[in-house]
Amino acid sequence: MNVSRNLLEIRDLTIDFHTDEGRVRAVENLNLSIRPGEVMGLVGESGSGKSITAKSIMRLAPGNAVIQHPSQITLNHQGQEVNILKLRGRDLRLVRGDAVSMIFQEPMASFAPAIRISDQIIQTMQIHLGYDKDQARRAGIELFDRVGIVDPAKRFDQYVFELSGGMRQRAMIAMALSTQPKLLIADEPTTALDVTIQAQVLELMMELREQLGMAMLFITHDLGVVSKIADNVTVMQRGEVVEAGSADRVLFQPQHPYTQRLLDALPHLENLPEAPQHTPQPLLSVKDLSISYPVSGNGRKTELFTAVKNISLDLPEGQIIGLVGESGSGKTSLGKAMLGAAPISSGHVEYHHTKKKVKFGAGKAVKRKRLARTAQLVFQDPYSSLNPRMTVRDIIAEPLEAMRLTKNREETDQRVIEVAQRCHIEVEHLRRFPHAFSGGQRQRISIARALVCKPRFIVADESVAALDVSIQAEILSLLKQLKDELGLTILFISHDLSVIANLCDWVCVMRYGELVEQGTVRQIFLDPQQDYTQKLIASIPLLNSPEGRSQRSPSLLQVAEQFAGSGLNYSQLERI
Amino acid sequence: MMQFLSDTWLLWILLSVGGLLWWSGRDSQYFHYVFNRYLLALATLLLVSGIVFSLMEVLPGDCAEKYIAYKNTQGETITQADIQAERVRMGLDKSLPERWGRWVTNLTLRGDLGFSCAKRQSVNLALGNRFWMSFMFCIAGLVFAYLIAVPFGILSAFTINKSWRDTNPQHSKAEQLFGTAILSLQKMVDLLLRIISYLGLALPNFLLALTIILLYVFAGEPMPTGLFSDQWANVPWFGVDGFSTGKLYDFLGHIWLPIFVIGWSATALQLQTVRALVVDESNKLYVDAARARGVDGVALWAGYPVRHSISPLFNSIGFDFQRVFNDLPIVAVVIGLTDSAALLIEALSMTNDQELAAGILFLVALVVISMNFITDVVLAAIDPRVRKSVLGN
Amino acid sequence: MTALLARFRRKPKPQNDESYYTAGQLALIKARFKRKTSGVVAAWILATLVLMGFFAGFFSPVDPTIRGADAEYRRGVPQPIFFWDDNGFSLRPFTYTYTKAKSKIDLKALAGGGLDALDAFTASGALTSSSQNRFEVDKEQRRYLQFFVKGWEYSLIDLSVGGLNLDLRWDRHLFGVEQGQIHLMGTDEDGKDVFSRTLHAIWVTISIAIVALVVKLFVSLFVGGVSGYFGGRVDTIMMSITEAVRVIPPIPIYLACAVALAQLDLTPVQRYFAIALVIGALDFATLGRRLRTHILTERNQDYVLAAQLCGSGTWRIIWRHLIPSFTSYIIVDTLINFPYVILAETSLSFLGLGLTEPVNSLGVLLQKAQDPDIQQNMIWQFFPVLVFVCLIMAFVFVGDALRDAADPYSEKK
Repeated sequence: MNVSRNLLEIRDLTIDFHTDEGRVRAVENLNLSIRPGEVMGLVGESGSGKSITAKSIMRLAPGNAVIQHPSQITLNHQGQEVNILKLRGRDLRLVRGDAVSMIFQEPMASFAPAIRISDQIIQTMQIHLGYDKDQARRAGIELFDRVGIVDPAKRFDQYVFELSGGMRQRAMIAMALSTQPKLLIADEPTTALDVTIQAQVLELMMELREQLGMAMLFITHDLGVVSKIADNVTVMQRGEVVEAGSADRVLFQPQHPYTQRLLDALPHLENLPEAPQHTPQPLLSVKDLSISYPVSGNGRKTELFTAVKNISLDLPEGQIIGLVGESGSGKTSLGKAMLGAAPISSGHVEYHHTKKKVKFGAGKAVKRKRLARTAQLVFQDPYSSLNPRMTVRDIIAEPLEAMRLTKNREETDQRVIEVAQRCHIEVEHLRRFPHAFSGGQRQRISIARALVCKPRFIVADESVAALDVSIQAEILSLLKQLKDELGLTILFISHDLSVIANLCDWVCVMRYGELVEQGTVRQIFLDPQQDYTQKLIASIPLLNSPEGRSQRSPSLLQVAEQFAGSGLNYSQLERI
Repeated sequence: MMQFLSDTWLLWILLSVGGLLWWSGRDSQYFHYVFNRYLLALATLLLVSGIVFSLMEVLPGDCAEKYIAYKNTQGETITQADIQAERVRMGLDKSLPERWGRWVTNLTLRGDLGFSCAKRQSVNLALGNRFWMSFMFCIAGLVFAYLIAVPFGILSAFTINKSWRDTNPQHSKAEQLFGTAILSLQKMVDLLLRIISYLGLALPNFLLALTIILLYVFAGEPMPTGLFSDQWANVPWFGVDGFSTGKLYDFLGHIWLPIFVIGWSATALQLQTVRALVVDESNKLYVDAARARGVDGVALWAGYPVRHSISPLFNSIGFDFQRVFNDLPIVAVVIGLTDSAALLIEALSMTNDQELAAGILFLVALVVISMNFITDVVLAAIDPRVRKSVLGN
Repeated sequence: MTALLARFRRKPKPQNDESYYTAGQLALIKARFKRKTSGVVAAWILATLVLMGFFAGFFSPVDPTIRGADAEYRRGVPQPIFFWDDNGFSLRPFTYTYTKAKSKIDLKALAGGGLDALDAFTASGALTSSSQNRFEVDKEQRRYLQFFVKGWEYSLIDLSVGGLNLDLRWDRHLFGVEQGQIHLMGTDEDGKDVFSRTLHAIWVTISIAIVALVVKLFVSLFVGGVSGYFGGRVDTIMMSITEAVRVIPPIPIYLACAVALAQLDLTPVQRYFAIALVIGALDFATLGRRLRTHILTERNQDYVLAAQLCGSGTWRIIWRHLIPSFTSYIIVDTLINFPYVILAETSLSFLGLGLTEPVNSLGVLLQKAQDPDIQQNMIWQFFPVLVFVCLIMAFVFVGDALRDAADPYSEKK
């Protein structure tokens, strides 16, 4: 492939950040090129430098970022090579909308909250296309229609918070497309969305790409998503490219161990664990459980919001049970209710085979200390769940000291060190404060705290959602190990089906506060009975096999390349 | 009938406004909110009146004593029994809640703020236009503060995340030099503004007023205290030969001092507020997103961070007014004004005129509460963010 | 992006520096504070001023009370310190000898001549107050500065509690002169030394502010704590009252209370505490509201739930988790509020309703600046104004730097 035919070419990109601790290298000698019409997947975890790379293309790098000298970013615009890093003033509009536009991760935050979406889109069109207001408006509504927004004329004039999550991202896409760019940068466009909506948005993006033939730089940490959409993949780790090549090559014959690790984190439906021979005894039973929260309804009177409706459930002992659902399905409420931390409006929770009877529910208060010795919680957010003013030792020792389970300080320290070693926390670190730790390490502390009083049951509420894939894998293997060693029962709440598939023995699916289906992992993932479960399973971004990938029309890609640089816009392309 | 109406006019207005809002709020969420907000404002006012009225009890003496003392100077001999009789006549022997109840009732019925013992006329009459004068001072001081603080606060916010030097390796040496010069200039302006605003916080108003007066003393000019110089004080606005422009000039020559003085510290505070608000907004993702769409220059700053920081600024007008009025009495003493703030000081520290002081404080609270009410209601109407938070979706 | 940045900020700490990891909240604030040059400079100035105020007896050469007043040197100009003059250089700093000028009234002319002489006499200004502070400087008579001189006895630190007499007294002073007294910043109309008075005033004013702030803290903690912890109807009522108090301008309220205090027969010390009490007790609205919000948000933090699930009781949660979570915030807020409380005290004293002569407080000294006589003839009495502005500026700068260093809401992740 002729080098000059590349739409975008990044050579030796090196970026430093000025921080309080001095210079920190964010990106080192990055090379990347995108041909017209090509979809490039840029994969990496947080801190790998992928976002800052994308922002440098649009010259949006923050003030403390320094793009070092030999770096070069060139854009092929109407037959001319433009050095992006030298652009100034009004010329910057070339990469800010004209030829390049961007979809951000959080659509809610990327629309100005107090300005109508219509005004923001019209303004963009006026700047780049020179449309007048009516023309821009018509084009905008058309775009809204095109990205699959129902009732586009009405939605067009709304504010961003009035749209639902999926609609927002569609609006964001419409906004990005409104200037008819040649290169679309999508920065984790589906990460913040629920699985089913994620699948819809991906579908839409693929469709648009086929229709419009623009090039795309698709940034994500999820190889499954990349496999669906990208032609070529670049994998970054700590600011450096570790592997690059065609999607088929990188995803199916990975060379670098890091890529391999990322791939391992994807669900492997072909070797799901076997169901145990005999069904174990239930550890706890939930009977007709409903949970209601008071919400202030428009200031007139308080209404009750029922998060969980009449659920009955037995959790088998010694297994990891996955609780799956999309946001708002009531899964967290259910998990917290099992720990007596949610307002139960009817029904009860009962633990079996405990020394002292643990049973609570509507009209029956929780015996906090008994429960605390039986069941513990590992939180979702590793930052807010650790008191920033206590040392790690104090945090882990909290249950022991609060319930006076040990005789003296020495015994407490002994127990803390023991559990810390089990959770792979270095003993010297016990004197430190939580702010000194990364997310993964904090989550270990959180697990250690949960384990220190030797409970039999642990609820892990989205405990790996805030972590990077490779760290997720570490925490998950720790949980598995703990289950095997200590015979723990773990309720693992997650929206992420890949994690569930890799970890759990038994799976429950929730939707709108109701239990949709439960069964072994194999039953749920391979033979789902309910419509909703089927839909959910189908939207997991699995690796597409090479055969599946080749179904994408290659002709269109060629057409796009042919017309690249000739000032063709998408409306023309569509007619071909 | 007319008598009855004129005795209770305020109550009818309050009731009809409330009724109207309630009627409109039956099927409009917005007016329902306005109605609730109206009730809340009235309740707060009631509470304020209670606090103010009971606080004034700590002032020594009561009306009867003062009245009798006055008569005493007229050569009548007064006994303790006379004072007691006078107390009964004036209703001062009643308990505090009873007197407060009567005060509030008169207030809500016909806007009657009570009777000033020291002036021996009704508070409404004693105040006359003086409260309006103070009100205008404060408003003018606030306008002055906003006029300076808003543009310069934005300017200051603009420079906050920049460094003194342009070290971008992508720029040529000449470009770097030029960039450094521009950046340094901006930072200098910012530094200067910050020092001024700190000085505004550190220098109490009365010191500032004194300093200015002192400058006049050194220059040997007549001091611009009061509202008019002696020469013009008694000249009517509209003399025989039409409007007196000389008086106007004299007036303007005096009026700037109180406005400047009370505007000064308000400016300092506003400068910091505006700066913090704009900086806060400009760090948000949507500003980057707008940049990514090619919005730049003034359109970016005015349309995004600034536009979004106006609402909270607007929302604080009520308390800004309170803060400014808080400073006014001392300034009035230093400059020799004769507005309601000076009257307040007089009533509090010299004549112990409880009802007059309570009346003035109540009026200030009334202004603040009405401003808060108005800003809340207006913001709920025009700012979608506020609307969302107060009305739900 | 911020997540990315935050990550970079956290990660690359040098491994060997264990102190960062084991540093608690306050140590972190300190480290961040040290990076702000303006704040550090202001902190040093502030520390110097406060120290000089606290040990005012030691630092001031003259007794600031009427006992130390220099009857021979009323309305006296400042006596600057020199190292050299026309008569040569001296390693030991010195000042000159000042003697009161005798007014040269030509009595004979006045007695003999008619109106002309009287006119001339008036025009010469002999009767104006400015003539009263005319002094003659004898440049030949140097008075050398001495250090650690013995002088009037003062109380260095008074630790007396109850019947225990632990009043530490001393009579050494940092500096003084041979023969008579030195008036660095001149004297006032009673002959009291302005410099010494100002030094003593600093501590009086600051201690009032401290008392006021402590009272304020307790009232705010009570209001905010009760409101935030109980919530519901209690919260609604408490907050409506706070809202109503917030609406009324505070200075007139202080005034009313000060007038009421004036009626009571109080000793200066009692009056001093009463005023601090009033200022502190009525200023709870802002901090109380903030503490309430803080408790409400903090109560919903995951780590509090975590503590509950760990079996911690209510008191343990309050004591071990909630209170530590806002101590740093309270400390910072208190420091930031210092200047405003001082301003309130000075405003009251300025109106003659706070402390009054002969007490030395900055407000009392500032009040003098209002006097046209002082404005025109004794400009050195503006020295306290200068010190006052420096003090407040130092407080504001320190407070601002602290706020940046310890932004209580910045650590929410």
